Amino acid sequence: MDERVKNGMGSLAATLDLDAELMLRVKEGDGASFGLLLEKHRSPVVHFLYRMVQNHAVAEELAQEVFLRVYRSRESYEPTAKFTTWLFRIATHLALNSLRDGKNERLQERLDDASSDMPVRQVSDTRPSVEQRLVHQARLDEVRRAVAMLPEKQRAAVLMHKYEEMEYSQIAKVLNCSESAVKSLLFRAYETLRARLAHMA
Amino acid sequence: MKCPRETRENAGWLLDYTSGRLDAEAAAALEKHMEDCPACREFVSGQQAVWKALDAWEASPVSMDFDRRLHQRIEQHVSWWERLTRPLRPLVPHHAMPMAAAAGVLILAGVLLERPAVTPTAPRQESAKVEALRPDQVEHALDDMEMLGQFNRLVRPDTAEPKM
Repeated sequence: MDERVKNGMGSLAATLDLDAELMLRVKEGDGASFGLLLEKHRSPVVHFLYRMVQNHAVAEELAQEVFLRVYRSRESYEPTAKFTTWLFRIATHLALNSLRDGKNERLQERLDDASSDMPVRQVSDTRPSVEQRLVHQARLDEVRRAVAMLPEKQRAAVLMHKYEEMEYSQIAKVLNCSESAVKSLLFRAYETLRARLAHMA
Repeated sequence: MKCPRETRENAGWLLDYTSGRLDAEAAAALEKHMEDCPACREFVSGQQAVWKALDAWEASPVSMDFDRRLHQRIEQHVSWWERLTRPLRPLVPHHAMPMAAAAGVLILAGVLLERPAVTPTAPRQESAKVEALRPDQVEHALDDMEMLGQFNRLVRPDTAEPKM
């Protein structure tokens, strides 16, 4: 396909992206549109960052920085890509920097401490028995450790593929690499996870 | 069908099959292939176990005060210009804001430049002139009045003093 046609289709897709339209309204000074974007992407961004750094406080701090950067960049925003690609590119960049700086280690939660003192938006109604909770917790710890041991880029690719259900092409844009490189990253990451978690079936 | 495990490019089919993202036609072809390929069956079985394990990992909910803290941080970064123009936002479209600002600057400049011309300085100068009358001018004026009186007396001898 002709490159210009491809680019044209890309910009058309970006134009039709509802989030990009909201962001353009934010650029025009519409604060309510920023509120809508925050409402829609708050949880996915926080959850992605939480699974990346495995620390709730650090994940929220990083998510705040992500949305702050989005707000501060509104004047120069151009819808050249999907909004979520841009959003997760910022989030991934901050998460990788945080992991490299070791900032989250200061606040590292114990892997067996899934509770938080902070008030939360959702409250679980399920009341499993103590034994069920212990088994679930042990499995959860195993999953968290297995993911935490993945190299950072592989981890980011798996989290975007599994939890955000992103296409290879979008993950490639977020990680600034080729689509085949993403497939390779995912293949190796899942290979490692299969070796560590297959017994949990 | 060629075994997808032979190339990493095609191994994506196995990942897509496990996550339910493979289209029906390709999924059917892969299932047919797996009937004779234990390696692919093992791959898919292991991948399904990983998928299920990852499903169990729910992230912690977001704090209730997340938005409040974010808005506080945003407020800290709001510039003086934005604070100044914020009340005008509903009245002036964003793209017209620079034009409105330029118009404001021009009006302000016009007012400042116009001010000296408007100031009525001329009367002050005139009153200063009166105050600055030289004695010889007063003397001349008195002489003129005396001359006028003399002229009146010559023309109308019955009038003793000229009418002022």
